[in-house]
Amino acid sequence: MTDEDDFAEDRYGVPPMLQSQARLDRVLVRVQDLTAEKAGQLLWVRARIHTSRAKGKQCFLVLRQQQFNVQALVAVGDRASKQMVKFAANITKESIVDVEGVVRKVEQKIESCTQQDVELHIERIFVVSQAEPRLPLQLEDAVRPEGEGDEEGRATVNQDTRLDNRVIDLRTTTSQAIFRLQSGVCQLFRDTLTSKGFVEIQTPKIISAASEGGANVFTVSYFKTSAYLAQSPQLYKQMCICADFDKVFCVGPVFRAEDSNTHRHLTEFVGLDIEMTFNYHYHEVVESIADTMVQIFKGLRDRYEFQTEIQTVNKQYPSEPFKFLEPTLRLEYWEAVAMLRQAGVEMGDEDDLSTPNEKLLGRLVKEKYDTDFYVLDKYPLAVRPFYTMPDPSNPKYSNSYDMFMRGEEILSGAQRVHDAELLTERALHHNIDLEKIKAYIDSFRFGAPPHAGGGIGLERVTMLYLGLHNVRQTSMFPRDPKRLTP
Amino acid sequence: MALMELASLEKSLGFKKANKYSTQGNNKTPILQSNKGAPLIGLVTIASHLVQEAAQPELLGRTAEQRAVVRQWLEYRVTQLDGCPKEDIRSILKELNQYLEDKVYLAGSDFTLADILLYYGVHHIMADLSVQEKEQHMNLSRWFDHIQHYPGIRQHLPLVVVLRNRLYTGGHH
Repeated sequence: MTDEDDFAEDRYGVPPMLQSQARLDRVLVRVQDLTAEKAGQLLWVRARIHTSRAKGKQCFLVLRQQQFNVQALVAVGDRASKQMVKFAANITKESIVDVEGVVRKVEQKIESCTQQDVELHIERIFVVSQAEPRLPLQLEDAVRPEGEGDEEGRATVNQDTRLDNRVIDLRTTTSQAIFRLQSGVCQLFRDTLTSKGFVEIQTPKIISAASEGGANVFTVSYFKTSAYLAQSPQLYKQMCICADFDKVFCVGPVFRAEDSNTHRHLTEFVGLDIEMTFNYHYHEVVESIADTMVQIFKGLRDRYEFQTEIQTVNKQYPSEPFKFLEPTLRLEYWEAVAMLRQAGVEMGDEDDLSTPNEKLLGRLVKEKYDTDFYVLDKYPLAVRPFYTMPDPSNPKYSNSYDMFMRGEEILSGAQRVHDAELLTERALHHNIDLEKIKAYIDSFRFGAPPHAGGGIGLERVTMLYLGLHNVRQTSMFPRDPKRLTP
Repeated sequence: MALMELASLEKSLGFKKANKYSTQGNNKTPILQSNKGAPLIGLVTIASHLVQEAAQPELLGRTAEQRAVVRQWLEYRVTQLDGCPKEDIRSILKELNQYLEDKVYLAGSDFTLADILLYYGVHHIMADLSVQEKEQHMNLSRWFDHIQHYPGIRQHLPLVVVLRNRLYTGGHH
């Protein structure tokens, strides 16, 4: 097909599929390590073709590896032939390539790449894994901020398309940053609690009775009978406390069959749950949980790797940095009701907070105290689950609390009833079938310590910390009433 | 509705004795029987008459230009505001908000009947706005809060809370 001989024909191409034919002792340098310090070095890089643009005797490529990208160049010369440049220009986007090249410093910073001071002059290029030519979505479109899309008439990608083609969408710099940050939240949660003397436990997810009430539970067939998917590890956390584990936490899936199609509900999410005994007052637990959250916020704020991730996310989704107070702000329910009434909201003393009111309260608290994180204590007993300990001095209220980030609830918790008799009474009051929770009540019959705890949603915490607006952005493969795949 | 308004207006103008009104038509247009001949029909007509009777003609405007502006807003109240469809509420709020950006009162720097009747007319809309919406229409809220605190104007209507501090700054969340 060529007029002239191709002198470079062994320096490019599509090798046979990599089936571990030979174990090459070759060092592949990470794109993020391509800096001016390496100028003049000949090295190998494996990355994806992010973009390619041919111009006469040259082909400019942008090679991408997770959040990092670098400009690369194949130019006709003594190392590359015309055919090689043409080959490079025709490699489909997203294909994985092995390139050998020389790192060269550039005079003008390359603003569009993360590696701004260098470019790679390619001497060899091979396609390790080819991508089909028609991508379901374009990655540049997927990282474009909404406003920019509208203003300049360029495409952005809507959420459903992203979720339908999640594998491609997760390759974007923003998605990479979000989920690395989420991993950080989980890691900080574990590290903080472990250093406070907590033990990590795993609880069963196939259970015989609905823990939070029968309405929102998934039923599964279990041999000749039925079972349920756990709505929370509540019952088992407490049983561990009665089994003398003192302070426990667990990280695991939570299943809620709630037909809510909102920005913050998923049918399956990751619960980060805490339960601990206390000496004399449940506020010991509230302070411990709040401090754990603060340690997470500080870790995300102060550790270098997370700062970069946060900046990356903010490029596409700008938001105000997350603010919190030390010690954590704690308001009581009646105070919150008073603040809302002052702002013109009409509500009863024992009414639950609607979502709009929670958000308005968040705004009022932010304006008054300058914090995005606070604890709301002493909820009315009527709106809490049956195992919540009533307030000792006022039967209308309870020793229960919620925690909020940017005006949205992230944790619900309480001092639990640790007395079998009172528990039975409260269960009957809530019309719960005692037969179904017999094992639970029994665990409190043989000396149960006073204890309290709470559970947070991992996806919600990440979403709210970053100031994002939809929990599906922080769930890798989200599940909601309308989505079961991928 | 209009009858309650007129009753409130009478009280704020200092009338000791309330007039008797009747209504006509589906819109319940108010009618005031006059001793001096033809009955007065319509909210604006009657209100203007009451103002004259109360010897407070300045409430209709002090200069010819001001009088024209007052009449324009009274007409706006009855033709654009009353009975406006839900879709139009947004644009009415925007229009009023924009207009009030550089004025203390509708007629400029003087309190007039236009302020009173617009206040009554827009009250039910303002009462239903969220804190954020009121903040988005900052000038309108400022004017509304001013008028509702004016001595004698609010009468039977509940106070609409207008917060002094901004909760929703420029940023995202």
